[in-house]
Amino acid sequence: MIQNSWKIGGLALLAYVISMCFLVPLGPGLLEFQDAQSAGVVAELERKVSVYRLVGLNTHWDEQPESLHVYLKHKSSLVELPVIEVNDATHANVGLVLPDTIPSKSWDVFTSHPSDGTLLLENGLFTEGFVIDKEATWPSPEVTEFTSNLALHFPFQPRIFETIRNLMLHVPMWFTMFLLMGIGFVASIRQLSASQSELHDLRAEASVQVGMAFGILGLITGSLWARFTWGAWWVDDPQLNGAMVTVLVYAGYLILRATVDNKRLKARLSAVYNLFAFVILIILLMVLPRFTESLHPGKGGNPGFNSYDLDSSLRMVFYPAVIGWMLLGIWMYRVRLAAAALNQKLQQL
Amino acid sequence: MTLNVLQYLLQISPLEGFFFGSGKAMVVTGVALIILIGMGLWLFAMEKRIARMNEHVDELLNSQTLKKK
Repeated sequence: MIQNSWKIGGLALLAYVISMCFLVPLGPGLLEFQDAQSAGVVAELERKVSVYRLVGLNTHWDEQPESLHVYLKHKSSLVELPVIEVNDATHANVGLVLPDTIPSKSWDVFTSHPSDGTLLLENGLFTEGFVIDKEATWPSPEVTEFTSNLALHFPFQPRIFETIRNLMLHVPMWFTMFLLMGIGFVASIRQLSASQSELHDLRAEASVQVGMAFGILGLITGSLWARFTWGAWWVDDPQLNGAMVTVLVYAGYLILRATVDNKRLKARLSAVYNLFAFVILIILLMVLPRFTESLHPGKGGNPGFNSYDLDSSLRMVFYPAVIGWMLLGIWMYRVRLAAAALNQKLQQL
Repeated sequence: MTLNVLQYLLQISPLEGFFFGSGKAMVVTGVALIILIGMGLWLFAMEKRIARMNEHVDELLNSQTLKKK
């Protein structure tokens, strides 16, 4: 039982991760600020204005609709827009009231509400038909800021939305692959230094086989994510291409093993190949992304996660996910190794 | 237990995005958990089976060695 505790622990961690990953709701955010192609009347101004439709996701504007405040922002210029009508929790009609001379065509839209806190839609409005004067300023209204009082939720990120949950599946796959390929690398070094035994060769083979499975899962989950966020199953990106090349290099390792019959030669050849494969993995997935621009988050000098990519609600699921998937990977590696060792014994019979 | 806690959290603060409004989140979670538990049981069973076969093969190898002697 004690021997199996880390395996049960790994499964329990993954059960926790899966539950949290799919059941923790996404926080509120702004989706659109569109011209509703109609005119409305703002009572306080006693004049007709263009009506814009504000669309949110997971917002609660129907709770205390009178407390919804909508603002346009450009640098230090701020305009509060009159809320004409709150249709439901996620839709509201807002009057566009701007002076004739404005400092920019492009505006950020942000809202403030007691339940949802302050939400921002960057470049949410692009105005036409106004005189642009970059020096134009006007007195900014006092902003009513609220702090969100929602239960545990994942952060709303533009374009990613609900797919943020894939973070718990996609990234740990690569971490687990790195770990397994690292085990294979060490086993290959030991195989070269102690060539009498084939145990280290079996270890290297088993770790690469299981690592490949995680690498392929990483590619699949990444491709699905790319389709949703970037609009294509595959984009010409150094990080993505590097990941694919790495998986292919390791596929070459398995092909090499299958083509050599002599056991000792196979062990030595594949050990040397594995050393180079691991160096390629480090270069393509850890070094190269530091020097290239990429669509992938956290790139352009910093391949790690930053405060934009992770917040505390994600961390409390992401870190257990990394540990859980790694434990599962090691368990699979041990089973694969035991099966390979048994197979070798059977051949002796 | 995690599920109960999350259910409670959802009850006190329901967020009605499409992910939850459609009710599919529970189904997805259930299927994923079944796959995970199934995988765990399969790995445990495999380990046991390999260990049993290993013992059997060791016995055979020992008997072969004794016969040769």
